[in-house]
Amino acid sequence: MMNKRMMVSVLLASVVAISMTGCKGFFGKKGSKDGSVTDVSGMGNADGLGAMNGAGGTRIEGAGAIIDAQLVAVQFAFDSAQVDDTERAKAEAAASYLQANSGTFVTLEGHCDERGSAEYNMSLGERRAQSVRTYLMNLGVDSTRIQTKSFGSEKAKDPGHDEKAWAVNRRVEFVVMKQ
Amino acid sequence: MKNKILFTLLSVMFVVPSFAQEVVVSKSGGTKTSLDLSAYGASGAGGFIFRQTLTDDLSRCGWFSLTRPASYTVTGSCHDNNGSLSADCQLMNVLKSTIALNKTYTDTPANARRLAHRVADDIIMATKGFRGICSGRIAMVGTSTGNKELYLCDADGGNIRQLTRDRSISLSPHWSPDGSRIVYTSFMKGYADIFMINTQSGSRSAVARYPGINMAGAISPGGGEMLMVLSRDGNPEVYSKSFGSEQLIRLTRTPRAGEASPTWSPNGSQIAYVSDLAGAGSPQLYVMDRSGTSRRLTSRGKENVDPDWGANNLIAYSSRRGGLYGIYIINPSSMDERLVSPPDGNYKDPAWASDGRHLVCCKQEGNNSRLYLLDTMGDAPVCLTPNGGSWFSPAWCSK
Repeated sequence: MMNKRMMVSVLLASVVAISMTGCKGFFGKKGSKDGSVTDVSGMGNADGLGAMNGAGGTRIEGAGAIIDAQLVAVQFAFDSAQVDDTERAKAEAAASYLQANSGTFVTLEGHCDERGSAEYNMSLGERRAQSVRTYLMNLGVDSTRIQTKSFGSEKAKDPGHDEKAWAVNRRVEFVVMKQ
Repeated sequence: MKNKILFTLLSVMFVVPSFAQEVVVSKSGGTKTSLDLSAYGASGAGGFIFRQTLTDDLSRCGWFSLTRPASYTVTGSCHDNNGSLSADCQLMNVLKSTIALNKTYTDTPANARRLAHRVADDIIMATKGFRGICSGRIAMVGTSTGNKELYLCDADGGNIRQLTRDRSISLSPHWSPDGSRIVYTSFMKGYADIFMINTQSGSRSAVARYPGINMAGAISPGGGEMLMVLSRDGNPEVYSKSFGSEQLIRLTRTPRAGEASPTWSPNGSQIAYVSDLAGAGSPQLYVMDRSGTSRRLTSRGKENVDPDWGANNLIAYSSRRGGLYGIYIINPSSMDERLVSPPDGNYKDPAWASDGRHLVCCKQEGNNSRLYLLDTMGDAPVCLTPNGGSWFSPAWCSK
């Protein structure tokens, strides 16, 4: 079924996968529990629908009014989560705005084009939002003022099904709110 | 339609008009047992619905060719009388001159379709010795209200009912092993969180509401654990949560990659999932065992996504090749893979039906996505959903 070259690439990929996941015993009883991950007990508030807070991000519930901060969405290359050089000015403008306006916070909304699967795009949209989050934090924005949200391919800005529409839809939007 | 006519012609050509023939060989769908339903009687609205549904089920299930004469005959009748539905059913093995099934069923006329599905599965069991898929149910996402809500339908696409009214985005429904609950992802509280809903009562509870995304919940075959994708610690990773201890275990650690769509092996000893570890833009399938060791499963295709690990130990997934998505199945041990959807359409997001032969999946038709039943043995795909709106993320329940 598989030719030699493919076999080699599969093997290589497997080695990479194993070394990168680097995980011995994360799974089940045989393994030890990952020390960095502890579940916050319970389900939050009494109806079981409350939020849980962890170390990896901030969830700012009960958001205030949305402010039109005139910030422009950061666009991404196909299937990339990297902030391109050409897009950096947009993230820098957002950082400047947040630093000049205390009492505001931002939701970074990650979006993808319609290709791929709904679930993979949710993951990719989150990675895009987190790339921008890291960028803002490196520029000095406090992490507690930033929350990430992925909409995957659920909220297309351009309803088209061509390259032009897809390029528009691969983006992270800045939604600024008053605390 | 053309296929149907061709199929009928082929069936007629291959039927030897003698009772000595056990099976009819047809060009598609493997070998089929000949079954004669033509003498089955019906009266009243419920009776006719029952008979039509039974005929459709036995024709669609892939195991029979409805012809006469045949190896098996179904006789009896279904009557809708004063608010009660009564169906008696005799299945005769013509070759052996034995009665394979002799049963009287009663229900309300409103349940005529459900009852027919049950009888169809009884007939499959009595002739083939295994359970059919006719009384299964499908959970799916539908857009006809303008939002993405969860819906349920029967295995034939009938009896569609709306399960959620969240007026939000609902994604990725997956059944609990006992068929009583569904875990799904919803934005109803503003964020992608995982909820569990009881399909009977509609009552609901949150399962995961960590910062970042919470999605792709998949309950283990034993019911005690759930896989999911969280970004609570930064990058999206696969986690497992034990329902008893609430212990959360992180399974992947890929700072430069995103994961999605974890699915359990039938005995719960392995998982398959999607990761773009091999390069952004190229999500591929990986398999991890209980020791935490993972290996890449797919090598061909730019995108390999949406795995569903069936009870037959084969993993179904969608793969983009040559600009189109197709449904493939792969044996995770031998790595042998095979395309099972027609090569000329965009087919995505497969879920195994309980017979290990059929899959339910989405097909892109213009701007809409519809659900189709695919047969891995070659029968033509059957559309399950009505026109209007789009349907996504099918999940099969045998109960």
